[in-house]
Amino acid sequence: MRPFTRLFLTLCLLLTIGLFLAPRASAAPAQPQEIPPSYQRTAENETFELYVDSSTLAFKLLDKRSGYLWHSGIDELQQGDRLNKSWRAFAQSGVSIEYLDEKAISKRISITNAGRTLNVTPIEAGIEAEVKFEEVGISLRVRLRLEADGVRVEVPSESIRQENPAFRLGLVYLYPFLGATRGGSTPGYMFLPDGTGSLIRFADSTKAKNMFYGRYYGADLGMIGVMPYDPAIKRAYPISFPVFGMVHGEKGNAFLAVVEDGAAYGELQAHPAGIITNFNFLYNAFIYNESYFQATNRSGAGVTTIQRQTNEFDVVVHYRFLQGDAADYVGMARSYQQYLVEKGVLKKAPDPNPNIGIRLEFLGGDKEKVLFWHRFVPMTTLRQMQTLLDRLQIPNPQVIYFGWQPLGASSMPPLSLKLEGGLGTLTELRSLAENLAANGGRFSLYLDPQAALWQEKGYSPRRDLAMAITSVTLEGYNRYHNSYFTLDALRRRYTALTEDIAASLEADLALDGIGFTLYSDFRESAPLNRQQAIRAYQDMLGKSPVRLGFYRPNDYLWSLTSAYYDMPLGDNGYIYTSEAVPFLPIVLSGYVPYYGAALNFSPNLEEDILRHIDYGMYPSFFLTYEPTAKMLDTRSNWIYTSSYDQWGEQIRQTYARMNALLAPVRGQPITARRELREDIFIITYANGKQIVVNYTDQPVSYRGVVIPPRDAALVENTP
Amino acid sequence: MKRTLPLLLFAILLLTAALPARTRALSPYTTWARGPGGVPYPTQDAYTPLDEIDLPLASPEELFLAPDGFLYVADTGNGRIVKLDGDFQIAAEFGHGLLQAPTGLFIDEDGFFYIADAGKNAIVILNQDGSLRAELGRPSEPLFGTRREFLPRKLILDARKNLYIVSEGSVDGLVMMNTAGNFIGYFGANRAQMSLKMILQRMFLTEEQLEQFIKTEAASPSNLAIDRQSLIYTVTAGTSRDRSIRKFNIAGTNLLQNVFGSTTFRDLHVSENGLLAAVDADGKIYEYNANGVLLFVFGAKDTADQRLGMLANPASIERVGSDLYVLDKDKNAILIYRATDFAKRVHEGVRLYMDGFYVEAKPHFENVLTYNGLFIMAYQGIADAYYKQNDYSRALQAYRTAEDRNGYSETFWELRNAVLQQYLGSALLALFGLWLASAVFTRLEKRFGWLDPLRQKARQLQNIRLVDDFLFMFRFIKQPADSFYYIKKDQRGSLTFAFLLYLWVVIARLLSLYLTAFIFSPYPSPAWIPFETEIVYALLALLLWNAANYLVSTISDGEGRLRDVLIGSAYSLFPYALFALPIALLSNLLTLNETFLYTFSTQIMWFWTGLMLFIMVKEIHNYSLSETIRNILTTLFTMAMFLLTAYILYVLFNQLYEFVLAIIQEIGLRG
Repeated sequence: MRPFTRLFLTLCLLLTIGLFLAPRASAAPAQPQEIPPSYQRTAENETFELYVDSSTLAFKLLDKRSGYLWHSGIDELQQGDRLNKSWRAFAQSGVSIEYLDEKAISKRISITNAGRTLNVTPIEAGIEAEVKFEEVGISLRVRLRLEADGVRVEVPSESIRQENPAFRLGLVYLYPFLGATRGGSTPGYMFLPDGTGSLIRFADSTKAKNMFYGRYYGADLGMIGVMPYDPAIKRAYPISFPVFGMVHGEKGNAFLAVVEDGAAYGELQAHPAGIITNFNFLYNAFIYNESYFQATNRSGAGVTTIQRQTNEFDVVVHYRFLQGDAADYVGMARSYQQYLVEKGVLKKAPDPNPNIGIRLEFLGGDKEKVLFWHRFVPMTTLRQMQTLLDRLQIPNPQVIYFGWQPLGASSMPPLSLKLEGGLGTLTELRSLAENLAANGGRFSLYLDPQAALWQEKGYSPRRDLAMAITSVTLEGYNRYHNSYFTLDALRRRYTALTEDIAASLEADLALDGIGFTLYSDFRESAPLNRQQAIRAYQDMLGKSPVRLGFYRPNDYLWSLTSAYYDMPLGDNGYIYTSEAVPFLPIVLSGYVPYYGAALNFSPNLEEDILRHIDYGMYPSFFLTYEPTAKMLDTRSNWIYTSSYDQWGEQIRQTYARMNALLAPVRGQPITARRELREDIFIITYANGKQIVVNYTDQPVSYRGVVIPPRDAALVENTP
Repeated sequence: MKRTLPLLLFAILLLTAALPARTRALSPYTTWARGPGGVPYPTQDAYTPLDEIDLPLASPEELFLAPDGFLYVADTGNGRIVKLDGDFQIAAEFGHGLLQAPTGLFIDEDGFFYIADAGKNAIVILNQDGSLRAELGRPSEPLFGTRREFLPRKLILDARKNLYIVSEGSVDGLVMMNTAGNFIGYFGANRAQMSLKMILQRMFLTEEQLEQFIKTEAASPSNLAIDRQSLIYTVTAGTSRDRSIRKFNIAGTNLLQNVFGSTTFRDLHVSENGLLAAVDADGKIYEYNANGVLLFVFGAKDTADQRLGMLANPASIERVGSDLYVLDKDKNAILIYRATDFAKRVHEGVRLYMDGFYVEAKPHFENVLTYNGLFIMAYQGIADAYYKQNDYSRALQAYRTAEDRNGYSETFWELRNAVLQQYLGSALLALFGLWLASAVFTRLEKRFGWLDPLRQKARQLQNIRLVDDFLFMFRFIKQPADSFYYIKKDQRGSLTFAFLLYLWVVIARLLSLYLTAFIFSPYPSPAWIPFETEIVYALLALLLWNAANYLVSTISDGEGRLRDVLIGSAYSLFPYALFALPIALLSNLLTLNETFLYTFSTQIMWFWTGLMLFIMVKEIHNYSLSETIRNILTTLFTMAMFLLTAYILYVLFNQLYEFVLAIIQEIGLRG
């Protein structure tokens, strides 16, 4: 640091202290040695002491339980640190921004390397800072506050000002180097919310060639227009909950960042040591404006421009600090669970059935083309479904009926409850649902409410479809190729159908698509940003007269989720991650039952069943009464194996095996998961019962119980 | 350059000791298998990515599992061969200083290294300890070709110690050499292909243009492998998919036809138990049985995703136990793919099937079908098993599903034979009886006139115009020329009936497509028939012919009116109208042995129709022979011109539309 800068900073600091903080500071006990004098004690509670440097907005947090000091950035470089000037400023500052000039070229600046005015005011348990980057005329307000579990950081939407029309605010980075570690010097790992959860262990080098940049809730289809499709690739699971964390020494210290608000425009950026810098760090970036490519003809020529309207959203991030036994990914998951319980998102739902659920998704049928007409190919009629359920004799089946609408799965669902005539009558449907409920199961109808199926009748392509910023209708695919409804059309259709369902039978809805697809709509008559879409979905679905299950719901729908379907069995497998962990299952355990993807498509059935048991996940199957080959010429031929004749016995066995293990821990949160030896895991539930999963080819013995190779066992924990 | 090796069990254990026991559950790619209609359908993963092992190498080109059970890598950029131990650490290095850029590697039973060096353009042979044994340069024999270059890239050694060498750009195929460096000959050349486009280019382009544009030279193979029977396999990048993998017998004849391959194959491996694996530049891995039938395709290119299992620039593939190892020369890493339970089931079935144990393989294939009912290869195996067990009706069903026309035909022959043997005698007797009865009846009828009232009725019916028109059709069989004259003189035939006839022709066309037996139908199942296009084609052809012929004739002194052309053309189509359906039905009684009957009758029908059209033009327009020929050719030319004009108009309007659209968008954006 040049002497001048230092002088300036000290001056600033002295001024601030003199003006606002002097009385409080003098009353406080002596500052710990390792905290530089530029940091001023700002707040304290039973567990933490917060120190803030009001010239950089960096903070230090002392965990009084362990005496561990957390740093929000890097104050002084050490020998061997690879940080250039720009990165050093980034690491030192609490807040950095990236702006876009008129040519949509972006540049990053930080508090410590740009002309800025900084106005810091003390508030209850923290500070509020008004930052203005003078050269580009962009200003924002940051609130930093100590709370019971850690620190809360806010950037209110109304505080964002862009005064110079030549520059637009692109990104805001908050505390990018919080808890950053050098290479492999500290043991521990970063936690990413990839799939069910993924860890990057700290090391000096990494296989990564690019950083992990993951947009919460996936890319915004409103900005890209068309979801890229490559039949060779399984699309990576988008991030479904805005949480990340870092562990400094397992069972030592850890923190967890939870984005309470603004995740719709948030992006997780994680840098393992070894690319660009020698630091491990990860942080949130929030997107206010983006550039996009506007094609002006079909051959692909066009211009890159910046979106006209700045995204409006508040940012609220909680950093929760953990220590001791809680300082690992299980502790983080439990801390997050506790946060969700306190917020009222997760609620205990009483369920008297003593058995675990199993998702049986029956395909009603689909249409195939015959000359100029479509013919319905029935695969499982209501009567046949009843026969299969009678034959299966499962005590808690969660039945989903897929393709129940007229002409079946690849046709638009109607606006009122109309069943395909070839499948049965409404009366039959009603009695089946009642039968199921009487026997302890649940009946749900499948619905993908956002999807306007490609080239299908039943909606107006001109009025009902959401539009991208490039004025094309959004296009994507879930089970079928589809466009997406505007909020208005979505609400109209959804409300009409659900009201009719609620009026005519006792059934739930299994909602696909809407749980994990979040898009903004740039239709001029009723534009909608992602943040508004979240609120609208919560509102619309919260008013549903029927119970809802979701396929892979994002966190903002968990409060409405009575069952979680299609949970991934791990992470996306980025080569620089060290292992996949069941973070998401631990968060939901005890509150929401979660089911894996249909096991029909599993290439390693044995291993995947073990993984289900490990994660406390319930099984799923696709089923049809007819042989699968009958629907070969329908659009549902992606279900290449489903017939009861082939799967019935397997389903009975799998269910019996998993029920014996998982029923005793039903409704119990997972409290610990540890690796006894490589590939042998012990999962402990709140009622003290343990499940041992042995993935190896050798038998293993634990507390007198011998677990055969590739098997699992329940251990009753009697102290 | 692979060859299959009797693997020592301990070596596999040694190699896999350092690997995780458990794969990650999710793979980044979709796996596809050959489904109905030869089209790939998604299936359960056959291999899941297990690990990616970084190695301190520079752009390695070849991975080789030697007979000693260890992996060796040709570390091209560092000019050496390295040996990897069980933990994928470098245990030894060879050829340092002797090699420049080793790209191909083969190690024989005695532990000698055979190396194709792209830097030296020579074959280097090393002793077990890495010392130089021999270096073979360009063969000096005149047979090799005086101006041919010798650019060895890959090689293998067969049991008789002959080297087969991939020489870059060699159009004559593989270079065969003995270990003393003597040239033996070329082996297994790819044939150059001539397409219509190329022929046209040859006709119209100058020498210089040809030089620039066209390479009619056969593509040279890019890699090769050898199996335990010393059969040589090659992959060729840059040829058509169906010829990209070839398997040669000793005589150099290709044994594989219509392989579902890739145009960018890099390497292949043949295993002990009849499995063929190949990897292409797009990071896709193809697995076949030894007959070249596709089992699985999977894999994805790593652009920037960096998900485990994606390949950036694969160079070499090797099978170790049931795992596939792929060497990636951009990542300097070995990627390991582990066979899933599902794939192991398929492999077990294939192993037995390839060894001829059809019946033993059947339960395995049935098990496979539990997991994927569309796995066509399994139906093939099951069908062959049924056939072997003489269960022909089941075999027929399974062959139908497997879309195996040969198997189906042979099974059908057996079934038909059984029926014939059982009923032929009685059928002949019945026929004879019928003939006798009808002869007697005719005689008696002539005498007593039993059918006279019916004849009367028939004559009355003939007064109805359409009935007369219909009967008129049969007159064309005997007196075509006269009959056209009647049309011209408005004496017989009508527009109404002509249009009915056209309608019937279109219907007959469609019906015959649907009714033709599976053996002779070009479509795997009726659902594949593009009936809309067929209707459009048929109508378009009829419309264009009539329009063009009328227009051409009016300016070349043709006498026929539009009406005459329409009716005449309709009646000319009568062979098709009458015989298309019976031929399609007949095909259901034939096997491939009697293909001649089917094709010949079809050809006769078409020829007859053509002849009728010819006579029609001649008679209706009253042309001489030469005028008729000229007229028909001009008509055909006009038809082509119509199509061309339509196409040009379409393109132009499309451009206009684009232009207007672009303007509107620009205005919207900037205005």
